[in-house]
Amino acid sequence: MTSVASALPWPRVGAGGSVAPLCVAAFAAFALTVPGFATGTNIEAVLIAALPLLLLVSGQTFVLVSGGIDLSATAVVGLASVAGGLVMSHDVQPGAGGLPPAAGPVLMVLTGALAGAVNGVCIGALRMPAFMVTLTVGMFSGGLAVLLVRLAADTETLFNLPRAFVALGGTPLAAGLIAGVSALAAEVLLGGTAFGRMLRAVGYNARAARTSGVPVVAVTAAAYVLSGTFAALAAVLLTGSLETASPAHGRTLLLDVIGATVIGGTSLSGGRGQVWGAALGVLFLGMLSNALTLLNVSDFAVTIVKGGLILVAAIVDRAIRPLRA
Amino acid sequence: MSGPSLAGRDLSAPSGHGDRRFQPSLVDRRRRRARQLLRSLPLFAFAALVLGVDWHAGRFATTENAAQIASQAAPTVVVAVGMTFVMLTGGIDLSVGALMFVGAGLAGHLALSGAPFAAAAAVMVVVGLTGGLVNAVLVTRLGLIPFVATLATLYIGRGVGRWITETRAMNLPEDFLAFGAAAWLGIPAVVWVAALVAVAGQFGLSCTPFGRQLYALGSNADAARKAGVNTRRLTAAVYAVSGACAGLGGLLALSRLGSVSPRFGELYEFEAITAAVLGGASLYGGRGQVLPGTVVGAGLITTIFSALVTLQANPYLYPLITAVVIFAVVLIDTLYTRPSAG
Amino acid sequence: MTAQSPAVAAPRVRVEAVHKGFAGVPVLRGVSLTLAPASVLGLVGENGAGKSTMMNILGGHLRPDAGSIHVDGAVYRPRGASDARKAGMAFVHQELTLFANLTIAENLHLVRFPRRLGVWIDRTASRRLASEQLSRVGLRRGPDTPVEQLTSGERQLVEIARALTHDARVLILDEPTTSLGALERQRLHDLIRELRHDGLSIVYISHELGDVLRECDRIAVLRDGTVVAEGDAGGFSVRGLVRHMVGREVGQFYPAPRQAAVREPLLRVRGLCRGTRVGPTTLTVGVGEIVGVFGLMGAGRSELARLIFGLDKPSAGVVLLDGRALVGAPPGRIASGLAFVTEDRRLDGLCLEAPIAENLALASLRRLPRSLVGVLTGATIKRAARRIGSAVGLAEHVDLAAPVGRLSGGNQQKVVLGKWLLTRPRMLLLDEPTRGIDVGARAEIYQLLHRLADAGTGLLVLSSDLDELMGISDRILVMRHGELNGEFPSTAFDREQMLRAALPASVA
Repeated sequence: MTSVASALPWPRVGAGGSVAPLCVAAFAAFALTVPGFATGTNIEAVLIAALPLLLLVSGQTFVLVSGGIDLSATAVVGLASVAGGLVMSHDVQPGAGGLPPAAGPVLMVLTGALAGAVNGVCIGALRMPAFMVTLTVGMFSGGLAVLLVRLAADTETLFNLPRAFVALGGTPLAAGLIAGVSALAAEVLLGGTAFGRMLRAVGYNARAARTSGVPVVAVTAAAYVLSGTFAALAAVLLTGSLETASPAHGRTLLLDVIGATVIGGTSLSGGRGQVWGAALGVLFLGMLSNALTLLNVSDFAVTIVKGGLILVAAIVDRAIRPLRA
Repeated sequence: MSGPSLAGRDLSAPSGHGDRRFQPSLVDRRRRRARQLLRSLPLFAFAALVLGVDWHAGRFATTENAAQIASQAAPTVVVAVGMTFVMLTGGIDLSVGALMFVGAGLAGHLALSGAPFAAAAAVMVVVGLTGGLVNAVLVTRLGLIPFVATLATLYIGRGVGRWITETRAMNLPEDFLAFGAAAWLGIPAVVWVAALVAVAGQFGLSCTPFGRQLYALGSNADAARKAGVNTRRLTAAVYAVSGACAGLGGLLALSRLGSVSPRFGELYEFEAITAAVLGGASLYGGRGQVLPGTVVGAGLITTIFSALVTLQANPYLYPLITAVVIFAVVLIDTLYTRPSAG
Repeated sequence: MTAQSPAVAAPRVRVEAVHKGFAGVPVLRGVSLTLAPASVLGLVGENGAGKSTMMNILGGHLRPDAGSIHVDGAVYRPRGASDARKAGMAFVHQELTLFANLTIAENLHLVRFPRRLGVWIDRTASRRLASEQLSRVGLRRGPDTPVEQLTSGERQLVEIARALTHDARVLILDEPTTSLGALERQRLHDLIRELRHDGLSIVYISHELGDVLRECDRIAVLRDGTVVAEGDAGGFSVRGLVRHMVGREVGQFYPAPRQAAVREPLLRVRGLCRGTRVGPTTLTVGVGEIVGVFGLMGAGRSELARLIFGLDKPSAGVVLLDGRALVGAPPGRIASGLAFVTEDRRLDGLCLEAPIAENLALASLRRLPRSLVGVLTGATIKRAARRIGSAVGLAEHVDLAAPVGRLSGGNQQKVVLGKWLLTRPRMLLLDEPTRGIDVGARAEIYQLLHRLADAGTGLLVLSSDLDELMGISDRILVMRHGELNGEFPSTAFDREQMLRAALPASVA
């Protein structure tokens, strides 16, 4: 474990310190001022609610580090959810078919990986702009999810998922394991392997990376495949915990994804970023929304606070970052 | 610019462009012609679409339908004009839809409390302009990436909008709808406004120093600065323009709908970006125009939707078709404008 | 800038004892020049002699550390390029800076369009004005022509026309003919004569010594930051100019000459070419041999190196390393033992914001040892970085976690070298290996290259610095117009012959 730990540079938030003190401070402040915050059940709820976002953010970090952006990830969550629901839900598969129980989650992950592969080929090999590619792939995925579920069931939501699947995503322990192990794997992959270092080099300076023998196209494409795969894992968790498959899963998470990564010190211009820092960003955002909800702060105020938080994080980050050459 | 590299520059060339004797060849010229042809692909697609649907379903290529599509497209056109300005500098403005919402909320309150239509209309534009100025400060003074800055203002704006409207739908007085339904010379008022904005926008781009400097800035910001262009003021100006256009676009949308829903203005940023990209604007700046470019792009999207309705297509197919169309245009654009592989 | 010129015959520009250094490295060491009204001053000198620095000071881009400049008798101390422009300086840079997506007239008037009612562009006036400017530089193109349709020669004329917009008194032309064909070059020279006739003072920087001798009234030769010769053009010859340019004694920072030896061939390049830039090139580098390739700007040095390394696809030809053909992209060639120190460190060599250790490890990520679970730890990287860092002479106290962009040029180059040495290359390509590096670090790098060669590594050093190549190479090949134009073994090194072989055909 020490070898892994030494591969993890301490994440830095904008202020030049780390996100961890920010999280601790936020926890202390909320615990003191927000009634009902520092109870065991509430903390557990905060952590569980943060898991899908943790997965999305882990995947997004690969893409941001490579100097790109994946706007399709939140729509891919919905598509993967629907793909899983279509093969698993008793609504559309009376008797649940003869499929093995693993087929659903496997299909979901493959769906995410496929969407990521489309992004990766277009951006890595064809060098199309990441913004437009992932925007259209997201639009397509979201549309396809709605279309598929409508064609199959004439509703937007599929219920009656297999109990085993619901347990997989809906049990705190199982969900925590899936998200925790995946996030740890992402952190090790990004911070402790040749691939991760190549990806960072591509984000810092793709030309220098190419000259140094980094297979830039393959590495870039892999980042998007990873992002799609992690989005699909988030879909497994959301679909399981909500016990429904729906194209709407993940739709509202884009702000949180960008917010958590920016707060966690990931640079949107490439090169800089750790899953570790982004995970703390997720935790911070999770505590914040929870505290605001407990305080009965209205939904719109939460949005305003989160938007403002992104601005503050970006401004602080900008202030400490050495100017680009 | 570091000293040593200046000092050592005397004899040797920067890699990549060491030899500038290279002249445009026949291949280049043929390639440029192919590129121009592909640039006008959206126009061909547009014509093919209209004629095809008319032939298949009938009564599509009619003046009534054209007026209908035009007034439907009007708000998008206005917002997209501002977006084109921003994109020319290589930036992006994701906050336009949220600014429309904030403006509509305030204007709605004013109108419901008896203020005249003109006052409510003015408020929308002012709100948009103010939001645009905030973006301008974030991008030019605080040095934020436009994507992050305007994404944040998008969410702040939507939050503020929901606060103002108390997350309830607001039905506006008659004079809003009256403006939306008004026509002059058989052409809806909203279309007149959109046309005016488009013409003014293109005039600004092609006939004022400001516009020409925008193209220089987008093509090479560093060279523009060295040539004496005030790049910071220019960048600030485009976000202000985009904000004001969002406010005005919101007014047009509002007067067609007659009510402010909690989702008012949602996804307008993507429609506007799409219209500009379909019209030939580059995400990297320096390329794009309002007329015909962005206006045709906006018309194309609206026409596609209208055609799908006419064809009685499955409404759930709409986003898929839209995505495929945009994707195809971006793909073609990339294949023909990206620098040849190094 | 208030005092008026006291005497009519006074020089237009008088530069006195100007000093300038970068990061402690002196580049100009007391340069004094005078430029008379209505005259052309030719400025020649080798790479790094200080010509561009001097002109950047005149053009307001840099400020001198010491010394003074007077323009028409008034003290000239610009605070920036626009200040310089107001004082009548017109600077045409080496690299073209026009906007290809705008028309000629728009490029000419970008920041001072003639307007109607102060709002919109007066196209008629702009067109008329542009036509006048274009006819002044002799360009027969409509003012509404998009710049992207112009040849590079035509663009050069537009650049000059743009520079002349601002009531220029002094025109600085930095390497104006490198991109021009013979006819365009003739047209440019006619233009220079006309402008001089109109009273303009012109500084003409060029390596085309024949042109300099023909077109200039006076010539100044810069070497090592000082003017070593100045006089009427009639008093110089190509031979004399070359002697002044390279006259410096080879400094002691070059290592002791190596013994001649019979060497097994290591790298063989056969008929390698690409388009119009690199003609069919054939060369061999032996085991442990240092081969220099000398060529001026635009000779195709970097292009050749990129072809050998697989960064560009050749239109024909083969590259063999140890008898095995190298094909495909860089990763495979690196695995075969090829390495490439690029000319532009900042663009192609380093991830400036990334830590030094990561940069050092970048080319050998695939071969560094992994821990049990396949993790490539930061500790492994740091160890390898520390080891190779001390091998290339990176000081012990350097923090390997700091961004490489914070290092000096010399240390940055050591990082690039270290990155490649970590891959254990058998053949090293180096393009301008000491560009922008101070003397101390240069000496260290030369020693290192010799040690590598002594250990059997083959080295192909491409450079525009002849002294450097003569100081370290066993053999020098001269490149001109994308083709090899002469080969000199160390026993037959002759500066003048080699420089002449490298200069454009018009001179030789």
